Amino acid sequence: MKFDKDNPKLTAYALGELDENERKLIEVEVAKSPELQQAVEEIRAMGESLADAFADQADDTLTDEQRSHIEKAADHAKPVVKKVPMTWRKWAVPLSVAASVAIVLGGISILLPGLSRARELSKRLVEQSATMRPQTVTTPATNPSSVNKRHGVARANRHARKARNISQRYVKMRGAYEPSAIESNQRGNGYVITQDIPAGYRQELDSLGYVGGTDSVHGVEDISATFNKLNAEGKVNVQQFISPSSGELSERSNSEAYATIVENSFLPVGQQPLSTFSIDVDTASYANVRRYLMQASQLPPPDAVRIEELINYFDYDYPQPTGDDPFSVNVEIADCPWAGQHRLVRVGLKGWEIAQEDRPQANLVFLVDVSGSMSAPNKLPLLKQSMEMLLEGLNGDDRVSIVVYAGASGLVLPPTYCDDHRTISAALNNLYAGGSTNGGAGIQLAYDLAEENFIIDGVNRVILATDGDFNVGVTNRGALTALIEEKAKTGVFLSVLGFGMGNLNDATLETLADKGNGNYAYIDTELEAQKVLVDQIGATLVTIAKDVKIQIEFNPAEVEAYRLIGYENRMLAAKDFNDDTKDAGEIGAGHTVTALYEIVPVGVALDGVDPLKYQTTPQPSEAADTGEMMTVKLRYKQPDGDTSQLIEQSIVDDGLTLEEASDDFAFAASVASFGMLLRGSPHSGDFTYDDIIALAESGLGEDVFGYRNEFLDMVKKAKQLPKR
Amino acid sequence: MAKLATSPKKDWIVQALLQHEGVLIRYARRLTGDVETAREVVQDVFLKLCHQSPAELDGKLPQWLFTVCRNKAFDIRRKQGRMKPLTEAQVENCEAVDGTPEAKTVQKESHAQVVDAVALLPSLQQEVIRLRFQEKMSYKQIGEVTGKSVSNVGYLIHTAINALRGHMNVPGHAD
Repeated sequence: MKFDKDNPKLTAYALGELDENERKLIEVEVAKSPELQQAVEEIRAMGESLADAFADQADDTLTDEQRSHIEKAADHAKPVVKKVPMTWRKWAVPLSVAASVAIVLGGISILLPGLSRARELSKRLVEQSATMRPQTVTTPATNPSSVNKRHGVARANRHARKARNISQRYVKMRGAYEPSAIESNQRGNGYVITQDIPAGYRQELDSLGYVGGTDSVHGVEDISATFNKLNAEGKVNVQQFISPSSGELSERSNSEAYATIVENSFLPVGQQPLSTFSIDVDTASYANVRRYLMQASQLPPPDAVRIEELINYFDYDYPQPTGDDPFSVNVEIADCPWAGQHRLVRVGLKGWEIAQEDRPQANLVFLVDVSGSMSAPNKLPLLKQSMEMLLEGLNGDDRVSIVVYAGASGLVLPPTYCDDHRTISAALNNLYAGGSTNGGAGIQLAYDLAEENFIIDGVNRVILATDGDFNVGVTNRGALTALIEEKAKTGVFLSVLGFGMGNLNDATLETLADKGNGNYAYIDTELEAQKVLVDQIGATLVTIAKDVKIQIEFNPAEVEAYRLIGYENRMLAAKDFNDDTKDAGEIGAGHTVTALYEIVPVGVALDGVDPLKYQTTPQPSEAADTGEMMTVKLRYKQPDGDTSQLIEQSIVDDGLTLEEASDDFAFAASVASFGMLLRGSPHSGDFTYDDIIALAESGLGEDVFGYRNEFLDMVKKAKQLPKR
Repeated sequence: MAKLATSPKKDWIVQALLQHEGVLIRYARRLTGDVETAREVVQDVFLKLCHQSPAELDGKLPQWLFTVCRNKAFDIRRKQGRMKPLTEAQVENCEAVDGTPEAKTVQKESHAQVVDAVALLPSLQQEVIRLRFQEKMSYKQIGEVTGKSVSNVGYLIHTAINALRGHMNVPGHAD
């Protein structure tokens, strides 16, 4: 790992914020570098200046009247008896009453013990870490070409690192699914719907042998499981138990739209040596799958699982680009975890990062769906919160406009500089859901506004926030996508933020973002908003390369067959690779994009394919004897360019075992295998959820933000859910 | 009837008031933009404290006070639609209330420059910088108050200090 003065750990070191292990590691780096030493001195000097300057500022006090009011309240303050936490009390009461039932979306019964286990693990690991020696992470040598062949970092002492990195954020993330958060439906994290069971249903439950309602938390599990089961069997209609005001569950599952995915199968290299596809930086499918598992306690529909979006939800530690190209290309090959004789190839791109102050000026037009379906807490209210978070990260000279659409479209905020938070915030606060949706007309208005205020060399983007329910007016999907495609050519790109559940029109939203040279994210919680709109704002807003295509030519002397994992709706014809008129995916600042190929090496039988009757295998060229496994080619255009540039690199398989592969490799493989199991893929062999958990745990790595630990929770949850 | 003896609970509240009143008003004023609203926020914080158990807040009272203060300040800001961070002019006005202009020394001018430079930072960075260097909180405590992860706090402080070093023309600062 190259440590430089841009690393936040340096400031933490200078301010004495690091634990002993990290402090020692950085001390070594600082001792070696006069530049770091100077930076440390300057940081400390700045800190002292700040402390001195602030010390000059006098404190205010309360008025006498206010102070007296508090003291009177203190006089009457009663000694506080330690209470049962609110969360448990609220559950205990309804559960102790036989005639009440709580339907819990969110798998509380599983999550609570899970959370406790996680904390216990966290504690144990932290204790362990104190006794473990810090380790040096070796960084593989970087190929001087634009493609880095990345060998794995040895994973021998993983537990020590894991111990250091179970972050507070993880606990916070877990907290998003705790009952307290679920009760707080304003946060949009989950729902608790409590209502008396009508006598008729009570009898029906009893007659079916289901006895719900105990005074323990297990009662929640029993009732929830009972209802899920009965509902699945069609024996009761869960909707009839739902409070009309909550509305969410009754919407669920009945109008969500997913495009069918036909999984890529193995292709023999002798017949199809070229694999061509467009990159995809969307992450919506991951958040949606998480919503199914963690909030709705059910397995997602297979077509809701786009494996490439699951893999790309995570950041991987690819090096920054060093040459003129806007991204680095990194390849790693090791054993395939779920198929012993196969190899797994990971192709990773990393876009250059851009500091907030260097970000071009932005002209953002929010196109906000305020139709009636957006009134749920995890839609418009969460959207408002998300936009407030986004505004915090924008620069003062960035401009924001807001267009709403429902029964009619309208401009609610003309272009306004971001330092005028008050005006923007007031406009946000005045958004209310009501009416039906005319997405088409709203999009037209938003694009008109973006074009009128176009910033040359700036970020010009329409950000559509919706549950995707375009149910009135211009809903012709073809006309909509044509409009968006045309506008993308003018430099106004589109990002799509999907909200809520029930009528999420996933397929339409993904297509719109794809055609609009933008990205599609699904915002299910504040934490996801934080990830997409704050932590990764550069990637969300700033496109650094467009129409990025990957083509891989496999060497028939080394590879019998290959299979691209995911990217089913991003496949391109081989000839499209060199055709600059063919649209492909965009990569944002700091984005990482990862694709995995499962390889059947030569000499390993490919199941289910007969030898060809009418042709023989083509004669290999001389290059086939080089031992290269494949050649990776990429084409991309500059964001405002029309002509693509080519990156090309040959790759040799060095025969790494899974143990020798990097943490990121293991983790990405675990995510892919999870997607395969959720999709019911025939290629997952006898790989089980337990195998996935073990693989993911071995690849947790730093996990600064806790996303990988959250993934583990999802796998564990899926394991406990009934199979379809 | 004789006046009730001071209870341990009341002692605890009064002690907390004495110790934290000033810093909380200062913090709330930064978030709300004026001292009157800040006082109301802080009054509410201590009224809420009256319903808390000293044992449950043992060891984490400052974080609790700051967190409640922050939440209430944000509630008010939202209600009033006042999401705008303080402008430089407002900052100057605020300082004028505190300061004693006639006694300004060269050192104070340099301090004023630092405070001015802080005012140019994004509001969240201003907040974490003040919590770190004015209220002497650790990254962990700041994370608890603001609801951010420790690593995010670290990033914010690092970014803010880099920007301040740039503003203040610290010799050798090349960014």
